[in-house]
Amino acid sequence: MNAVSPEIPVPSRPVLESRPSVAVWPWPIALGALTAFGLLSALLGQHGIWLALSWAALSIPLIVTVACLLRAWRRTSSVKGGQS
Amino acid sequence: MTTRTLRRWFVVHKWTSLVCTLFLLIVCVTGLPLLFSEQIWDTFVGDDDPPYEVLPPDTPNANLDVIVEKARALYPGQIVTNVDPDDDEPAVLVSMAPSWQALKDDDKYPDRNSSHWIKFDARTTKMLEQSRPETELKPPGTWTGLIMGICRRLHVSLFAYLPGRLFLGLMGGVFVASLVSGTVLYGRFMKRLPFGSVRRDRAARLTWLDLHNLLGAATLVWATVVGFTGLVNELQTPLFGLWRVTDVRQILKPYANLPVPSQDHLSSVQAAFDTAARAAPGNEVTGLSFPGASFGSPVHYVLWTRGATPLRARLFTPVLVDARTGELTGAYPMPWYLRFLEISRPLHFGDYGGMPLRILWALLDVVVIGVLVSGLVLWAGKRKMATDARLRALGYDLDDADDAAVPVLTAEAVR
Repeated sequence: MNAVSPEIPVPSRPVLESRPSVAVWPWPIALGALTAFGLLSALLGQHGIWLALSWAALSIPLIVTVACLLRAWRRTSSVKGGQS
Repeated sequence: MTTRTLRRWFVVHKWTSLVCTLFLLIVCVTGLPLLFSEQIWDTFVGDDDPPYEVLPPDTPNANLDVIVEKARALYPGQIVTNVDPDDDEPAVLVSMAPSWQALKDDDKYPDRNSSHWIKFDARTTKMLEQSRPETELKPPGTWTGLIMGICRRLHVSLFAYLPGRLFLGLMGGVFVASLVSGTVLYGRFMKRLPFGSVRRDRAARLTWLDLHNLLGAATLVWATVVGFTGLVNELQTPLFGLWRVTDVRQILKPYANLPVPSQDHLSSVQAAFDTAARAAPGNEVTGLSFPGASFGSPVHYVLWTRGATPLRARLFTPVLVDARTGELTGAYPMPWYLRFLEISRPLHFGDYGGMPLRILWALLDVVVIGVLVSGLVLWAGKRKMATDARLRALGYDLDDADDAAVPVLTAEAVR
């Protein structure tokens, strides 16, 4: 049962509430549009530049994901361990 | 959005996700080897075809009638059922059977297969290979074949044939519903959080939630497209069935009761290929089935043609050529729902943009597995708390910490 206790987000709530709201949709829309473009450009273009554009467009959501994860993990490890 | 509507969306997301998560995990994992099945076969099994003769590249293909005659001479008394030129090898596959009736009777015996094939070199008409006779022992299966077979059947039908396909199609629909509801919830959860933040300094649950949101947002469109096209693919049997009982039946009506003519008196196969190529300009002819085949007319060659450009390569147009006279009866483009099905296939398989696209497909698939797993972790975590609350209601003495945890997290869920 103790495993639950560190999960209580109570202390964080006031901080959360005081934060200004941010624009939620620009990033998901941009990544979604890139995905849609990537899926269609290879399908309709079929060769050459369109294929390359498709690969590039479809890798961006993956790159962004990895970048976000790296950022989060690097930040915490520097706070916790002070290795960097 | 009121708390009440939000709570409804949450319930929709929770239940649609719970219903389909297990099946989606199966489909995502088995889909990975299927993406690279060509490469896997080439690597672990190799091509056991005899090498083709090296001829000048502009050597014309031989007359198909010669090949059909050769096949008939090999099995006198049998019927030819199909003539299929290979897509990317200079070969022609001729399928034969003892009789149409024998093929029909195969349905009654699961282990019987009366049809067999002979492979010819399309240019020299030399026989290259034959299917294994049924009396011969089966060659030992390879591990690759076994594993790929299991993956394919799990992925397509959960080993349950048509009911399995329809069930997985339904799961595809539920998955799309879960993505839509998840998107609505995402909009609420991320109101005060910049995109892509993963809070690791707080509760583990928040890390999982942030991961779920980030991975889900990044792959949303891809998952929707692949999920929806998967659903469409699973509907192919009923969709083709619909076409057969509507348009096809209408077209074949005048011929339905005619007897199947003897194969000795049919018009030229090569001429039928040429006629079909003219009847469907811009298309290439990929195969022919003889009069009497289960999908077709008793007196027509059915020729399958498909678009020659990669985009239209999956759009098939059947052409009927009267096998008694060799005259064209007509070309019949597919109805919109089958065109839609054919277009949606590449978008599911990811096989239309070379190896880099397949690799991206695999990576996106792995990220979706991450979304599923993080969703499961979130659900399991909440269940644990709900169980604790019930236990407490029954009078069990739990840690104080849990008292605080329950109301806050339920509030979080609907916030």
